[in-house]
Amino acid sequence: MLLQSEIASILLNGLQQGAIYALLGIGLTIILGTMEFLNLAHGALYLVGAYTGLIVFQETALSNGLLYSSGITTLGFEGGFLAALIVVPIVGFGIGLLMERFVAEPFYDRPETDQLLVTFGLALIVEETVKNVIGGNTFQSIAPSTIFGVNVSQPISLPLVGLFPSWRLLIIAIAFVVIGLTYLAIERTDFGLVVQAGTHDSEMVRILGIPINRSYSLVFAVGAALAAFAGLIGASIQTVSPQIGTERALIPAFLTIVVGGAGSVRGAIAGGLVLGVIISAMTQTYSQWAQIVLYLFVALMLIVKPEGLFGSAEVGE
Amino acid sequence: MSGDRSGDTNEAVPDGGTVTEEAAGGSGGSALAGLRERDDFVVIATAAALVVFPFLLIDVLGVVGEVIGISIGGYTGLPSLVLIYGIIVIGFNLLLGYTGLLSFGHAAFFGSAAYSAALFSQVVPSPILMVIAGTIVATLLAWPIGFVSIRRSGVYFAVLTLTFGQALYFWALGPGAWLTGGDNGFSGIEAHGLFVGVIPLDAQLIPVFDSYTVMYAFTSVVMLAALWVGNRIINSPYGLIFEALGENEERVEFVGLNVFRYKLMAFIISAVFAGVGGAMFVIHEQYIHPTTGLYWIQSGDFVIMTVLGGTGSLIGPVFGALVFEYVANVISGVSLPMIGSIGSLWRFVLGAVFVFIVWVFPRGIYGAFADLAAMVNGRGGGDGDKPAAADGGERE
Repeated sequence: MLLQSEIASILLNGLQQGAIYALLGIGLTIILGTMEFLNLAHGALYLVGAYTGLIVFQETALSNGLLYSSGITTLGFEGGFLAALIVVPIVGFGIGLLMERFVAEPFYDRPETDQLLVTFGLALIVEETVKNVIGGNTFQSIAPSTIFGVNVSQPISLPLVGLFPSWRLLIIAIAFVVIGLTYLAIERTDFGLVVQAGTHDSEMVRILGIPINRSYSLVFAVGAALAAFAGLIGASIQTVSPQIGTERALIPAFLTIVVGGAGSVRGAIAGGLVLGVIISAMTQTYSQWAQIVLYLFVALMLIVKPEGLFGSAEVGE
Repeated sequence: MSGDRSGDTNEAVPDGGTVTEEAAGGSGGSALAGLRERDDFVVIATAAALVVFPFLLIDVLGVVGEVIGISIGGYTGLPSLVLIYGIIVIGFNLLLGYTGLLSFGHAAFFGSAAYSAALFSQVVPSPILMVIAGTIVATLLAWPIGFVSIRRSGVYFAVLTLTFGQALYFWALGPGAWLTGGDNGFSGIEAHGLFVGVIPLDAQLIPVFDSYTVMYAFTSVVMLAALWVGNRIINSPYGLIFEALGENEERVEFVGLNVFRYKLMAFIISAVFAGVGGAMFVIHEQYIHPTTGLYWIQSGDFVIMTVLGGTGSLIGPVFGALVFEYVANVISGVSLPMIGSIGSLWRFVLGAVFVFIVWVFPRGIYGAFADLAAMVNGRGGGDGDKPAAADGGERE
């Protein structure tokens, strides 16, 4: 029998993990849905995001960083993480643009196995580059201790839950603001309309004369920026090492869109939250079985409801 | 990816989808007869190559290495290791190259066979029985996993096989640790040698050369058997249906064949090869750990070897296994004058080479060489051969 507070903390932790899965899943799903391109390098973008965040955080926040050496000793608040919040998505966006142009585009017309293979190779290259340039060691998470002078390192007391790290609460809020904005952008803007239409039938969109190729780059870049942002969020609560790209990002992202349904943004959000809650519940009860149950749940989902919660079965087949 | 073996471009076989039992039986079609001859040749030539191969890899490269001052000769275990992975990728290619299914979960069969063989060795330390035990377990595991995964295609198939493989990996690390040794791995595996332990596996066959150990001879025999079986399969009516599935699944379905059954069979057969390889691996290394045995990167390595070598032919992937293992075990230890030690850079180099191969030579190293050979002695001979080969497989 679980206590009420345990259930509440399972849900909160699930929300936080689910937000990361959702951010990754949205990026992967809009790329898969619109371009029918399978990006096995999606986890590498998470990795890049985490390390970029780490570097920005260290260079700007510590007393011996880049900013410090150029004469700026204080930003008035612990600015490292805020700087990373701005820099990381921009870096992700740029890498996304490059990837679309130089890796994805030559492979749009090739069989999907070729797409999987080339992006798998790319993921290897990124991971190995990080290992060789930065080193294979594990870094501590980069959560700041204060934001605008407010101490966020102490746990705060919540009703039902009890003590919960306030930084994690803030992270959940930031992640869901980004998820909400992305959702609105896809549901309410012209860009989103093209993405949605492309997910349904990209052939038809092209026939209608919409310059879908330009949207392709944008979709890819937005997806990449979201993955990098997820990496930053992840780096603020978990340790950072070169393996996280596949272990904590690529595979969960795929599982997320399998549960949610390929091509569906709503599905990625729902799938991410479902998986997040499952893993947090298992971690708090039978942690040894957490990963196994996660994978078996997804396999079961594929058998029982192959199209996912919100998707159509055609995408990605 | 599949179906671009030069044999079917000659003239007689119109395309993969219209294969009938009669044509496949070999009663008609000079193309098929030619194909069969070619592939028998492949097996015989491989047997010859297996005799020379370790000598080249260890002794000759060792001498060359001494001359130029860089150690590029392989260690004595390397030829066996290459052949073990060769066995696996021959089977993997039946699935990827011929049937057109990309599995990211074959580590499950490799690893389960390795662990089974390791556990079995604690009871009966006979290498042959260990291989049989491991293979049986891998086969039994492949049936349910295949049964579920085959129902979906494309990405979903890849993801499903990956999820099952990962579930097994985490099981071996955590809840199954009482059986698998968990994160400590499973060591102390000792096969007592062939013929009821009379001939130890690390004994040398020819006293002068380091290259020829009993283990190598044993692996060569298994590898040749695997190659022969693979050859029989792809030249049988059954194998032609695999190939037809890789080209166009719908067409096979319209002919009236049970697509599901054939795909499942292709999956299980490839798992049998992975199982044999896994058991051989554990005999060779005498140690197994969830990360080497079951982690998804191991499946990824099978994919890399297969694609690197070339999916268009039976023997092609073995070249991929050779390149992969050579780079991983020898090149990684080389220290160059300008660059310094290569060390862990090898995976980076391999990733780059892999991307390049997928991009430029979709038919892999073997395919590239085949194209080159056709270009050199072509001109008069294969008129329709070159364009079909250069195109690198069907596009849909």
